[in-house]
Order: sequence, then structure tokens, then C-alpha cells
Amino acid sequence: MTDKMNTNPMLPYLGRLVEVKDIATEIKLFRIEMLNGGAEAFHDYKPGQFAFVSAFGVGEAPFGIANIPKNGGNVVDFAVNRLGSVTTDLHELGVGDMVGVRGPMGNGFPMDNFKGKNLIVIGGGIGGAPLRPVIQTVMNNRADYKDFQILWAARNPSLLVFTDEYDEWRLTPDTELHLTVDQADSTWNYGVGLITQLLERVAPSPRNTITITCGPPIMIHFVNRVLVDKLGFSPEQNYVTLEARMHCGIGKCGRCNLGTKLICVDGPVFSMAEVGALLESFL
Amino acid sequence: MNYLTRQELAAWLDKLAQEQTLIAPLDIAGNILYRPVTDTHEVVWDFVRSFMSVKEVFFPRTERLMLIEKTGMQVKLTETLPDEKSIIFGVRPCDARGLLTLDGLFIENEPVDPYYALRRENTTLIGLTCQSLGPSCFCTNVGGAPDDPTGMDIMLTVSNGGYVAEIITEKGEKISKRFPVFDGLSEIRPHPSPARKHGLKIPPKEVWPAKFNDDFWAEMAERCLSCRICAYVCPSCRCFDVRDETLPGGTGRSQSERIRCWDSCNGIPYRRVAGGHNPRFMKNQRLRNRFYCKFYYFPIHYGPVSCTGCGRCIDACPVNVDITEVLGYIGRR
Amino acid sequence: MPYEPKIIAYLCTWCSYTGADTAGIARLKSPANIRDIRVPCSGRVAPELIMRTFEQGADGVLVLGCHIGECHYNTGNHRAAKRLLILRALMAYAGLEPERVRLDWVSASEGERYSRIATEFTEGVRVLGPIHWRIADRKARFVWEQEPISHRYSAFSDEQPKHAVYFTTVHEQQTQAIRAAATELLVNKQVDCVIGFEVGPRGRTRPAFIHQPEGVERLVWNQDCTHNLSAYLSKKLGWGTDGGKKKQPDRLPKAAIMVKPCDSRSINVLLAENLFLREQVYIIGMACDGIRQGAGFNADKSGAIQTRCAACNVRTPVVYDSLIGDPETTYRAIPREHIYPGIERLETMTPPERMEFWLSQFDRCIRCYACRQACPMCDCPICLYERDDSLWVGMGNDVDEKRAFHLGRAYHLAGRCVGCNECERACPMDIPLSLIHRKMAQEMETIFGFRAGMAAIPPPFVTILGGEENLP
Repeated sequence: MTDKMNTNPMLPYLGRLVEVKDIATEIKLFRIEMLNGGAEAFHDYKPGQFAFVSAFGVGEAPFGIANIPKNGGNVVDFAVNRLGSVTTDLHELGVGDMVGVRGPMGNGFPMDNFKGKNLIVIGGGIGGAPLRPVIQTVMNNRADYKDFQILWAARNPSLLVFTDEYDEWRLTPDTELHLTVDQADSTWNYGVGLITQLLERVAPSPRNTITITCGPPIMIHFVNRVLVDKLGFSPEQNYVTLEARMHCGIGKCGRCNLGTKLICVDGPVFSMAEVGALLESFL
Repeated sequence: MNYLTRQELAAWLDKLAQEQTLIAPLDIAGNILYRPVTDTHEVVWDFVRSFMSVKEVFFPRTERLMLIEKTGMQVKLTETLPDEKSIIFGVRPCDARGLLTLDGLFIENEPVDPYYALRRENTTLIGLTCQSLGPSCFCTNVGGAPDDPTGMDIMLTVSNGGYVAEIITEKGEKISKRFPVFDGLSEIRPHPSPARKHGLKIPPKEVWPAKFNDDFWAEMAERCLSCRICAYVCPSCRCFDVRDETLPGGTGRSQSERIRCWDSCNGIPYRRVAGGHNPRFMKNQRLRNRFYCKFYYFPIHYGPVSCTGCGRCIDACPVNVDITEVLGYIGRR
Repeated sequence: MPYEPKIIAYLCTWCSYTGADTAGIARLKSPANIRDIRVPCSGRVAPELIMRTFEQGADGVLVLGCHIGECHYNTGNHRAAKRLLILRALMAYAGLEPERVRLDWVSASEGERYSRIATEFTEGVRVLGPIHWRIADRKARFVWEQEPISHRYSAFSDEQPKHAVYFTTVHEQQTQAIRAAATELLVNKQVDCVIGFEVGPRGRTRPAFIHQPEGVERLVWNQDCTHNLSAYLSKKLGWGTDGGKKKQPDRLPKAAIMVKPCDSRSINVLLAENLFLREQVYIIGMACDGIRQGAGFNADKSGAIQTRCAACNVRTPVVYDSLIGDPETTYRAIPREHIYPGIERLETMTPPERMEFWLSQFDRCIRCYACRQACPMCDCPICLYERDDSLWVGMGNDVDEKRAFHLGRAYHLAGRCVGCNECERACPMDIPLSLIHRKMAQEMETIFGFRAGMAAIPPPFVTILGGEENLP
């Protein structure tokens, strides 16, 4: 529209849906082509950042960005779980519909600091979405990182996300993919059990290793307990991406604070050492 | 010094009111509230403190951020920035302090909030020194004072049956020159301000973390109703909610507006996410967060303590949750 | 163009909708102003739906169901009959002419009856003209001259004392009795907590929660004990009302509570609605002489008692485990026509004047929801008027939205409100909410002979009591 767009942080960029596909029960992947200057803003967003997606007429909500920049920031992916009023409206949309996108926001994973280290990515359910750009970054720059392990979990097989990409992940050199579900069905051929049980079975070494966890708060809590208490990791090695109800994403509305930290501005990526030092619990 | 009688002041304000929006204290059903007026004949000249602060002029209770129009698959967004020029008469020092606190958040911290910033830019503040302190006032304990001109564009002090006027900023200079009222030739000096209160000390940031898990919060929160009065009357509370709402006249959702309106961390649904989980579902967590935000988190992020000592929350709370009791507890060794 | 009223008709699918069809087949004339909406039963037509229909632009709402005794679901139209009576009274009091809402019965074969009712109703609404509830540009301009009713604090400098001392008369005898009772309850661990009153450091009386016997010295009974403490009971005693987490406790929480007669009626209402069990609450009832104006804030120095207390004829608690105070001395004989003070003030006005009055009151509202939070009866985990999807009302500060909230709440409290006045006391903008709730209570008594909370039974339009065929 006008270049005022760049100075009003509450005004979203327009985006057009170029692909909408079901990737799990009640979870859809939206591929959005950025318009009116948005591509430039998203040109070099980092894994771990998030953006607000607007279902015009209902509202907007924050979603983790689910891919690394493609085509110079032109197409941005979001995985949306249908749960409330905004996500329900988004699920009604199809290819060609317009949405709003405000971002990128937040601090992103310090991927440069992770170079030369072993990486373990632990995703639970829809929490896997913000981890996908991490996986893509490692795949695209394989030599920069050492051993790579992906632990992927969900309550049941129909809730696992990005199933059609698992083969590609497995084919990446020096990469292991471990899957687990809490409750299997007749089609399931892999492990059954909680993510914490899988983690203990895999038993990664803490030497020169970074873990990145994303999922429901309770899962983050128990995964961290296993890593620290049973596997010898220190909290500084464990990174997480947290979430909260947000309405501005730019540190003004005051809503997303976790103690002294604002999840939208100081996060959403934190090390567990930082989280542990906070007065308030994220649970 | 500049000296005006009340009649001269009223006449000057009346003239200004014809060019810009004049906002002044009115008595609305027994409540002193700042409202736009066309002239000064109903303005309340003698009052201690308004019920709501002037915050609501700059950060309105409901504000349209943009208009959303859908035609077929096309969407048009029109941002609706405020452009009205106004003058507020009768601002108390505590309210001006509140605005400076909000400036730290909305303007001095990137990105700038254009809605608030434009209103601040387009508004001139005419302050009024307090002649007496209310029983719940404690502005002097947060670094303020009943005659503190910080943040005002013109400061008036009641004196000798009229007002001594100090022109402080360029904005103040500009409106003072609109009509020949201020000649700077008076010998009258402003009266010394009333005695300050002593006693309560605002505990420094460093002592707050140690008290985070004390039982005190649960005890104080037991009687809290989780209404939002305290945040709404406060000159420096600023939490807001954003949502799209349909406008009448279109079909379905073809015309809607994105609005923001006041919210408070005391409210139960404040942190509730879709799906029902609410990390602050206990009353003591919410009440504690509000005080920590004011005296610990806000100063860390933006600089000033987010309290002006106006005492409105103390008077308005239906169950006597008292910020001075909280500060007294935290300050205790 | 001459004015054409917009009428929305809710027709039940079994009788009246078919009746409208019959009228159509027989080529009987019905006004084109009517938009029909088919519902399964007239009982499905919620009062909130009717209010929203008006807010969305309707000038009249017609609800047609099966005749009494013929409802396909047995009792749906019985419910509609009761609810709509109360709704009509509320809307009339809020400034809407009662002729804009009509409930009637039309059977499947009564095409002619449908046509006649539709025509009559439309003509009636046409005569009334357009409804002025919706404010076009969403800004209110109403200013109403009224006496200030604020006792919260003196905003005017000449009345403001430099060092205020809030003087309350503590009733020594009752205070000692309360402390003794509380001590016994806590020492014997009969309850986890005693909810009562204390005086804070600023001299204001406020709720107190005593968990240990040593704390009972804080409890007092004085002229400023205005709060309705039963507002805290469901959260203290209920399961999963705090944050929606359902948890069955191993041991039922128990609390003792000091209640005035009005508050004791609240407890009956809460018990009737199964928010907690009778055995969970030990009720210390206070025989009450009336509470001072301004209590809870800066009390009136003159000691005049509150309007609602002056008009109260329930001076002894209706349910209690122990009674403190002397019912003989507190008893007042108040004639029935005086127990609802202030209502006549609006009844003498025309509907447009009443609408103007209420809109000017609601204009001041800041949607702090203090009225709702202070009310013991307002307990919904997610308030209808505060939904994240703005289903019933938006979240903004337009006078339309505020009116929708307050009137909707008034309807929800009909037959449940006991007149404790906490909503009006808590309201920071001095909105005279008691006028609406008292009016609804008066209607409940007039129509159903029912007063909320006198016994632990639900209000009459929740259960079917019969006699609906005789309702007006």
C-alpha cells in the first residue's frame, strides 16, 4: 500500500495463500506468498522467529515460522492447529485467499553458536513446526554441524507433522530420526512411549551437544528434567522456544511476560538456564 | 511572571477551544472526568483529583487501528491514525508523570507506537499544581511532587485568587502566543506548595525478587475480585487486547475494524490460550504480577517505575487491596 | 420512503412454521416486513438472542410456538412463556416499548391465525416507529442531569479532610461472639478458613480470611460490613472453578462465613445451583440493622444507612448454623410496596426517556467488570459477554456493547439477585445498577410470587411449575 506500512508496527503485510494442505488431524500447512513489501521484511528471518497471521475479520495470532526463507522471503510457511476462533477461521480459507502477516518477530535460534556442535531437535506435536527451519538449516549446511538427531513425538500417529519429509530427513548424512507416539494404531511401525522414554533410550551424550525442544510446556519441563537429571546436560545446553498469549508481538501490550522477560521480544527462544533463572514458572 | 485571573484564563481557553479540541475536567454524575468541551462554562475549577487519569486521551479505552474491507478475494487495509489537535486543561503532576512513563514504553522503546505518539505530539498539556494532597496520595514517595512541572507544557499555580503561569515548552509557548494573555509582567509569585508527605519508601528493584514466592501474595489476593478497576484508573497501566470486529453495513465480514482496548493482567482470561490452559489462573499469581510489573519488570525494560503515587487504585478498589500496604511489606526487612 | 419496520419472527418448526406455510398455501396475506427464522422449538429462543436481534437492527421480534400443552418437546413453550415475560419487563424498563416483543401460539393448521398475528404485530411496530437503540456512529452523546450518588470519595477540595480518620462503630458484643465462634471452628478444624470482616490500616472495613486461630482477633462486626462475602464461596469450596481445572478433592474444602441476611440469601441461590454442598459451609448469620452509606470506601460521617437497607424486610438470615445478634431488635415491618425503592422513578418516564437515561448511565461504563466480579451469582467460567470470539458482544467501549452487557446480565440475574448491591457499590462510575436488578426482582415477585434465595430452590423459569397457560 504505502510506505507507512513500514512505520506502523501494528499494520500487517498482505499475503496470499498459495498452498493449503492437511499435514495432520486438525493441522494445516499454509504457504503464504508475501505481498506489498512483505517479502523484503521476511528476506532473512531466522529459524525460531514467529509472525502474527491475521484472519481478517476475526483477529490475529502468533505462529512459529515453519521454513527457512525461500525465494528471498517470498513464501513463508505456517503450521496452524485448529483450536480457537482465529485458527478456525484460517482453516476455512483456501488457495488465493488473503491473510495478513506481521513480522518477523522475536529472537530466533543462535544457529551460528551451534556450529561445530552435535544437535538434537526434540519436537512434540505441533511444536515441531518451529523446529522445521532448524532441520532445514542443518540439512542445507550439513558440514557446519556435527551429529544430528531428531526426536519426533505426538500423542498418536495422526498428530505427527511433516510425515512426508521424514525420508528426506533420514537421507541427510549423519542424521538419525527417532519417532514415538503415546498411543499407537494398527498402521504404526515405530516406537511407542512418551518422548521422555524415547530420550532415555536414545541417551545422547552431553559432550559438545545442544538440544532444542519445542512442544507443550509440560513436555518441555519433563524433557529438560531428563536431560539434566538423567543424561548429564547442563541447562545452558538446552534451548527451548516458549509461547504465550500475545496481542502485539512488539513488547507493548504487556501480556506475554514471563517474569522479567517478554516472550515476544526477549524470546521466544531461551536457554533453560535463562528460564530457570526467571521468577515465574512457564508452566 | 505571568498572572491571570480565573476570568482571563477561562476567556483564553474559550478562544482556544474554537481552534482545537479543549479537554477539561467535568463533573459527570459526581465523578470528575476529563472530557471534550466547547467552552469553559461547565468546567470544574476546584478539585483534588479526577477519577480517571488523562491517560484515556492518549491511550483510549477503545481505539481503531485499521479498517479492513474485503471484496471477493481482495482485502484493503486502511490504517486509521489520529490527527486531532487538542489541549488538555487541568492536568495534575501525577498524571503527567504517568504519561512520561507511558512514553518510555510507547515512544522511547522501538518500535514506536504511532497512535500514541501522534496523540502526544498533537496535544498540549496545561498543568495545575495541587493545593492539597488527598488522603491516598503518595506522589512524593515515587519521586514526584504536587507542584512538579515535569511533562507539562504550561504550568499553572493557584495564587492570590488567580493563577501564576509558567510557560515551559515550545508547545506551551505556541498556544500562549495565540491570544494576548501572557505578558510576563506580574510581580506575583506562586505560593509555596503544600507540605509533603513522609514515610512510605518505594523499595528499590533489587529487593523485589526475594519476595516473589512469599505467602503475602496469596493472603492479599484472597480478597481481590479480579475486576480491573485498578488498572483502568491507573495513569500508567497499559495492557491492551487486539481483535477484529465486524462493522454493520457490510455482508458477513466484508467490513471490519481491528481495534485495541484496555485489558488488565488482573483479569482471569488475560493469559488463557485457545485450548483453555491458563498459566496464571490463580488470583495470587495475577495480583503479584501486577505489582512486579509496576515496580520490577517495567523499570528493567523501560526505566521509570510504573506508579505515579496518585492513589486512585486505593480509592477505587472495592475490597481495599492497597498498593501502599504492598510497598510497606516489600520494604520491610 | 415511508418507514417500514424490520420484523424478525422466530417460528418453531413443528407448529408455527408450518402454520406460516399454511398461510402461504392458502394465499393469505402476510406483511413482507417479516423475516422468518425457523427454530426447533420456541423454547430454543434464548432471551440473549432476542436482545441481539434488536441490536442487529430489528424493530420488532415475534416469537411463535405451539399452544401450551402441545409442544413437540413437552415443555419448550412453557419455558418460552416464562422467559419472555421477564424479558419483556426488562426491555420495557430499559426503554423498549413492550409492544416490540410478542410471544404467541400458532398451530400447524392455523394459517389464518398466523396471518392475523403477523399483520397486527407489524402494524403495531410501524406505529411505534424505528427503534433508537443502535447508535450509528458508535459514540454516545447523552448527558443526563441527576443527583450525584457517589460516596466513594470527595472529589471536591473543600470537603477533603487533610488526615481522614474513618470512624466506624464496632459492635462489641457481636464482635466478641464472632471471634469466639471462629476460634472454636478453627481450633476444632471444622473449617479450613473463616471468611469475615476486618478493618484495614486506612480504617476501611474489608473482607478477611482467617486460617489460624491466632488471626481471629482481626474479625469485627461494624456498621461498614457491606461486602457480600458469599462471592468468595464458590472459588473456595467449588471444584475447578478457578482456571477451569477440574479436580475432585480428596477432602471437601470447608469454610465458615459471616453473612448478613441478604448474603445468606445468596448462599441459598448458590446451593440451589449446586456450586458447593451445604455441609461445606458453616454459616455465621448476623441479624442486621443496616449498613452505612459509603461503607467499604469512605463512609458517610452522618451514619445514614444505605437505601437498600432502609427498604429491607429480611433482617434475620434465612439460613445459618449459628445466629449472632438479636432478631427482635433488628426486625422491621416494611410494606411490600416499599421494598423496591427507586423503581418508580423510571416508571413514570416514557420509553424514549428511559432509554435516554440508561444510555447515559451505560456511557460512563468502562467495562471493568467489577459488577460481575463482585456478584456472587456471576460465576460462569467464561462470561457470555467476554468471549474471545466476540460472539454476543464486541470487546470495545461503545455504548451499544455496554448496554448489551448490562441488560444481558440483568436478565441472567432475574430470579437470582438478592439485592446485596455489591455491583452498584463496586462500580467505579456510579452506575445505578440496583435499579435494574431490583426491577427484575419486583417482576419475579409480581408474576411468580418468587423471591430469590429465601429457600435453596431455583427460580421458577428454570423448573416447570405449571400454570403457564394462565400467564399474560
